[in-house]
Parts: sequence; structure tokens; C-alpha cells
Amino acid sequence: MRGRRELHALAGAYALDALDGAERERFERHLRRCPACERELRGFAATAAALAMVATAEPPPGLKQRVLTATAVTRQSPPEVAERRVARPAARSAPRSPWVPRIALAVGAAGLAAAAALGVVEVATQHRLDSALAHNQQIAAVLAAPDARLATAPTTAGGTAVVVVSRAQEQLVFTSSGLPPLPAQQVYELWLLGPGTARPAGLLPLPSGGKTAPVLASGVQADDKVGVTVEPAGGTSSPTTTPIVVMTLPV
Amino acid sequence: MGPFRSTADPDERGDPDLDKLLVLVARGDREAFEAVYDRLAGPVYGLIRKVLRDPAQSEEVAQEVLLEVWRTAARFDPGRGSAAAWALTIAHRRAIDRVRSETAAAERELRSASAQIPVDEVAESVEASLEAEQVRRCLEGLTELQRESITLAYYGGYSYPQVAALLETALGTIKTRIRDGLTRLRDCLGVSW
Repeated sequence: MRGRRELHALAGAYALDALDGAERERFERHLRRCPACERELRGFAATAAALAMVATAEPPPGLKQRVLTATAVTRQSPPEVAERRVARPAARSAPRSPWVPRIALAVGAAGLAAAAALGVVEVATQHRLDSALAHNQQIAAVLAAPDARLATAPTTAGGTAVVVVSRAQEQLVFTSSGLPPLPAQQVYELWLLGPGTARPAGLLPLPSGGKTAPVLASGVQADDKVGVTVEPAGGTSSPTTTPIVVMTLPV
Repeated sequence: MGPFRSTADPDERGDPDLDKLLVLVARGDREAFEAVYDRLAGPVYGLIRKVLRDPAQSEEVAQEVLLEVWRTAARFDPGRGSAAAWALTIAHRRAIDRVRSETAAAERELRSASAQIPVDEVAESVEASLEAEQVRRCLEGLTELQRESITLAYYGGYSYPQVAALLETALGTIKTRIRDGLTRLRDCLGVSW
């Protein structure tokens, strides 16, 4: 067992994320009992942030819209009310991918869309609609809109694209089933296709059980179609490949 | 705006507005989140890109981090540091997670020869703001070993044993140089915490 002094000395390396697994865990255990270390780390975190600011760079143009769109389908974590952690709680206690809630959501909402496709809408899905509402009000609002219309279409890559659109809300929800998996360096990207324009409308999440979690697209205009292309990871601001599906939105 | 509260220049203090915005974000305010995005996207993306180098990977990780800011805003505690420091801590963690993942590790082996990061390169992509100038000046005030250890660990994404190997220096020495260097940097920048 190494002494406290030696553990203290790890504070700098810890602040720069330069400790590996076991040592990091040892330090974090120590940290919970060491207010002086926590104070020191706070100063180091602020110092590291100053180093980060210096590296500021112009983010890619499509990023903002994708992030803002994703917030619509990403449930927020509640605050920690019991057992407050000592150091840097969010950074350390959130190992889950931010996509997890969206994938979990896929089961509910994609199931709902499929049920709608089969004509089993009203009573049978009310329960699922409730749970979708609990998970995500915006998607549920589109699915439950009085003017919601559903369309499905096969894609040239295989599988089926499913769209639920609400003209009144100018929003649509896109899900799919059976799309072939892509290599890690590629993604499916969703587009709103107006006359002579293509507006990026989000990246399809990795499929879970063959289905992709619903993606919400806003700002749907009267003569828009919706399309999907295969793009390099991270997506692009305009399509670079032939769409695997282009769907006319139902009126 | 800046993540650290500089005593040297009152106009360059941390960003209390950002702290307040994040509190609104925690309550689901998407307009507030857009304002948070506008302030943080540049530093978050820039830092991640600095560490990962690859633009496509960097964008992917930046997207995850910014969404994590939305998702976990309720965990931000203004009493324990600035919102920018909180978010940039997450950003660095996620970048490092990516670096340490196996596939990335293999790629990194190939370019470890070019690991040296000269001080000149540190502010390559930012206009010569007072803050950047101050950080550069403070970095220059460190010993060479302190500076190299810190930049290799933070911008290079190397663990301190890897830093020790790259600099052919004993583990214990690197460990203390990182800590001493950060202390000196902190005092030079005048960050409050």
C-alpha cells in the first residue's frame, strides 16, 4: 500500500486524465476522503480549461443543427439528490453513451409506428403512447398529432423506411427497420429535400434489434421530400451519394 | 469569456452568464442550450480535435459531448467551478476515452514519433486573445520538462507512464513535474476555484 503523499502526487496527472484505470480508481477512492485534494483538483480543472480555450477552433457547420435536433429526442438526467459525489461527478459518473436513451426509445416509438402501419392505432397504442410521452414529448407530439400521416417505403439498400409527418407542426419522425449495418466510418444521414435544396436532418442512430431510434426533423415545408444517404461518419452538409430512398410525404 | 477567473484582467473573468444559462438548461430550456452551444462548441470541438487530430472523429465526439452537456446539465454545480471548466472536463475525458480505445490506440502507435507539441502550435487556431496570450506566456514560464509533460498529457492525450517513456524520464519525476507545473500555471493564470 502506497502512502497518502504518493497518492496526493497523482492529483496533477488525474486532472489531465493521464492516469490509467486502476490507478485512477485508487486516486478517486482517496479523493472522496481528501477535501484538500478536491480543492487542489478544482484549481487544476480551471487551469486545464484555460489550456482548452486556447485550442478553440471553428466547429463544423452541420454540428449545431445535429446537436440541437438530438436534444429533442434526448431525455435529460435528473439532478443528484442523495449521496453527492466529491469530484467532477458528471464527467466521471456518465459512462453511458448519450445515444442510449434514444435507442431505448426506439422500442417504444418504432413499435408505435409499426403498429400504426398495421392499422392498429387507437386503443392498442394508447398505453405505448403514454410511455413514449413520458420518454419524449416532442416525438410523441408528432406521432399523436391529429394530422399525423404515416408512410413507409423500401430502400434500395434493403429494409424499410418509416416516416410519420405532422404538417401542422412542420415536423416529422423518421425510423427504419432492416437497414443493413454500415462500416464504422459511415452513417445513414437523413435529408429534407426541397426543390433544388437538401437540408441535413440528422444522422440515424445505430440500429437496435434491427430498428433505428426515431429521429425528429423540424422545419418540414410543404413540398419537401425526405431522403436517406450513406455518408462518412459525422455526416455532411450536403449529400455526397445517391439516396437509398426518397419518399414523398403524405398530405 | 473564459473558463478561468483571471485576476489580471477583470474583463476576462469567467462567464457568470454561462453558469446561469446552464442552470436553465438543466430545466429543459432549449433556447438557453442554444446559447450554451454557441459559447462552448468552439472550445469543445477545438480541444477534442487537438487531442484526436482526425476531424471526423472529433466532430463525432464533440457531438456526443455537447449532447452530454444537455443531458447532464443538472449535475453542474456552480459552487464547484465554472460551467466552461465543467464542460471542458467532460470534453477532455471523452476525447481521452476515444484515444485509449483499442482501435485508436493502434493508429496512434503510427504517429507517436510526431508527438512533440511545440509551444508555438498551442494557439494556432485562436485569434491572439488576451487569454491565449496569457496562457502562452505562463506555459513559457514553466521548466521545459514541466511544459512538455503537461502538453503531452493534455493535448497529446498520453497517460503519464507514456509521457515518461516519450521523455525518457522516471515515472515519479513526471508525476511530480505535472503537478508542480499545473500549480505554477494555475498561479500564473490567477485562476480562482
